[in-house]
Amino acid sequence: MANRMNWLQGKTVRKNGPANASHSRSSSTPQVHSTSSTIFGGGVKDPSGRITEYSSEDDQCPVCKSDKYLEKKLRLLVSSCYHKMCESCIDRLFTLGPAPCPICNKVLRKLAFTPQTFEDLGVEKEIAIRRRIAKEFNKRLEDFPNLREFNDYLEDVEDITFNLINDVDPVGTEARIAAYREANAALTLLNTQREEAYILSLRQAEELERKERESRAEELRREEEEEREEKELGKREIIERLERAEGADAVGVVRRTKRERAEREATRKGVAPGKGPQALLRARLAAGAAAAAVKDTPHIPFQDDYYAYDDMFVLQSVYVDPPSEAVRKDREGIMRAGGYQVQEAWERAVRSAVAGLDLWPLGTDQDADGVDQGGDVIMAVA
Amino acid sequence: MPKTPLYEASTQFKNWRYSPGSLAEVRASLNAAAVAVIRNTFEADEPGSSSAVSFLTPDEELLLVRLYVSKITQLCGFFRFPEEVEATAVSYLKRFYLKNTVMDWHPKNVMLTALFLATKTTNNPISLEAYTNNIPKTNASDVLDLEFLVAQSLGFEFAVWHAHRALWGIWLDLQNAPDAPPNRAAAQSEIYDAALRHVRISRLSDAELIYTPSQIALASLSIASSELANEWAESKFLTGSPSLSTLHSTLAAIRTLIESSSRPVDVESVRGVDLRLKLCKNPEKVVGSKAYLAKKAEDERKAEEKRNKKAVDVQKAMAEGDPFGEELAGRLVDYDDDDDDD
Repeated sequence: MANRMNWLQGKTVRKNGPANASHSRSSSTPQVHSTSSTIFGGGVKDPSGRITEYSSEDDQCPVCKSDKYLEKKLRLLVSSCYHKMCESCIDRLFTLGPAPCPICNKVLRKLAFTPQTFEDLGVEKEIAIRRRIAKEFNKRLEDFPNLREFNDYLEDVEDITFNLINDVDPVGTEARIAAYREANAALTLLNTQREEAYILSLRQAEELERKERESRAEELRREEEEEREEKELGKREIIERLERAEGADAVGVVRRTKRERAEREATRKGVAPGKGPQALLRARLAAGAAAAAVKDTPHIPFQDDYYAYDDMFVLQSVYVDPPSEAVRKDREGIMRAGGYQVQEAWERAVRSAVAGLDLWPLGTDQDADGVDQGGDVIMAVA
Repeated sequence: MPKTPLYEASTQFKNWRYSPGSLAEVRASLNAAAVAVIRNTFEADEPGSSSAVSFLTPDEELLLVRLYVSKITQLCGFFRFPEEVEATAVSYLKRFYLKNTVMDWHPKNVMLTALFLATKTTNNPISLEAYTNNIPKTNASDVLDLEFLVAQSLGFEFAVWHAHRALWGIWLDLQNAPDAPPNRAAAQSEIYDAALRHVRISRLSDAELIYTPSQIALASLSIASSELANEWAESKFLTGSPSLSTLHSTLAAIRTLIESSSRPVDVESVRGVDLRLKLCKNPEKVVGSKAYLAKKAEDERKAEEKRNKKAVDVQKAMAEGDPFGEELAGRLVDYDDDDDDD
């Protein structure tokens, strides 16, 4: 209970006192980290979600017969002869030096035990063998005079691999490998070096690409920020000038401010192309976007057949309008957050001011040519 | 193909545009129909009783509606609703009484419902509790019971073009005039205020059912300042064009309409109308009256008839061996979600 309280208060509680001898001893075997990242009872996963070590609820050590049910911490490792054993058995049998495997009597060392990756030990074995063979037999197509000989070589390699996996004539096979190693030592070394160089170059290319992408994003972000600031500044300037120029010509002030801003913009744009690499990057980006664009059938814009009185008014960018002042003065843009634009409200108002201005009222003699009567009849029915 | 002007595509133009004559006609025919129905009900209840009842005339009905239109303004002032809500509610109330009569539905409740509906359709919603708690002697059911009826009577045409918006537009557009003094809008704002007052008065009249919002707005402006109104009208039409002269005669008609409704409704005369309405309203709509019970029994009987018919149909189907009817038997229908065959 007291322990639990301590835990609640965030204090560290150790079961066996501060210095734990067994702790330092067991660190010689690779430490398997918590099972909190596992999905099913078994496998241990690395951060990318790949299973790095296989284990299951039915694990049982073939040597001491202890199982996972009783021994929660049971961990089976695989010997070089592909037999499983629990960690405590390995400690018990091999701490004093090399000893025979309790199952097949092959002499084993403690360090040669590895964690299990695959459920099927056959797969485990095959992969280990193939890895070993690939290291030795690394000749390429260029090393042979013709394809036929290369294919023969590949068949030989496959043959040796098969023999090793299935324990067919192990002595003869090992002899074949040794003979090959003797004959091709120089070439093998060369090919290994080539392989390493290739992998290195791949990694470098990847790194370069990543850096380029990052700088491009940074550039875009910076540009966007600048543009936004410029816009905000322009708006504020107009409003401030309007405030200062009480009684002067409002339209003139707005127009002048806009022109000055446009000039500044132009000079800024004029400098920009000189900035070499960034401009180049942008051009490349644009080209990529254009290539990515899917070619489509010609676009036919939506056509409605409404007349919106557009020839009857000219909308101005700024009006003297006390009711909408609060919205226009709102610098943080809280009121405009939903995309509200006072210009749209103005446009709607002006449009409704001219809408239907010249319509004859129903029932006047000007309209008497049938339309009116029709209207009247309908109304009477309604 | 000529394009349809936006206003002429609106439901306001298509379905809610009348001439003064057709307005009177609609009201008279509604009144006559209602009187006939109510008279019949009275007679069925107690022969000879209807001769003593004096029914409302169309004009008296209109008077009552007009009083409740002015009540909307008071309520909106109390709740601080925007002008759009008020104008929309007024339009709803007027339109409702072009499809129904005062003798069937008392404007007191219809007014509350129309206003509540308008808050929702103009995107100025208020909770029903907040609404009814602030109006004395009103329950949620008073508002909600009529809501569908009102919406149905409006034909679910909730969008309304308003004169006050048009007036705002005219005022903005006046700043656009080539020879306008630089800060006319600021200096002459009292003209705008006066014009807005006239627009509000026009809501008490039938103007919006006859004329377009822009015409009403311009007429209101011309009462406040005829020079400004003329200047603007002439900037929109060529001088001497037929449209301009029509506009002038229309404006004159609206001006008389506004001036005639600028007097407040005489509450005493309305009270008399309301007293008489108590005696002559449709008894079928008064809970607990004989006619109401009779109507209810009639509805009940019809529903019963329908149920019986359904039961017989099911019995027949069962007798034929398949409870779902025979036409399904041969087909490969393995399940059917919809068990409501009504």
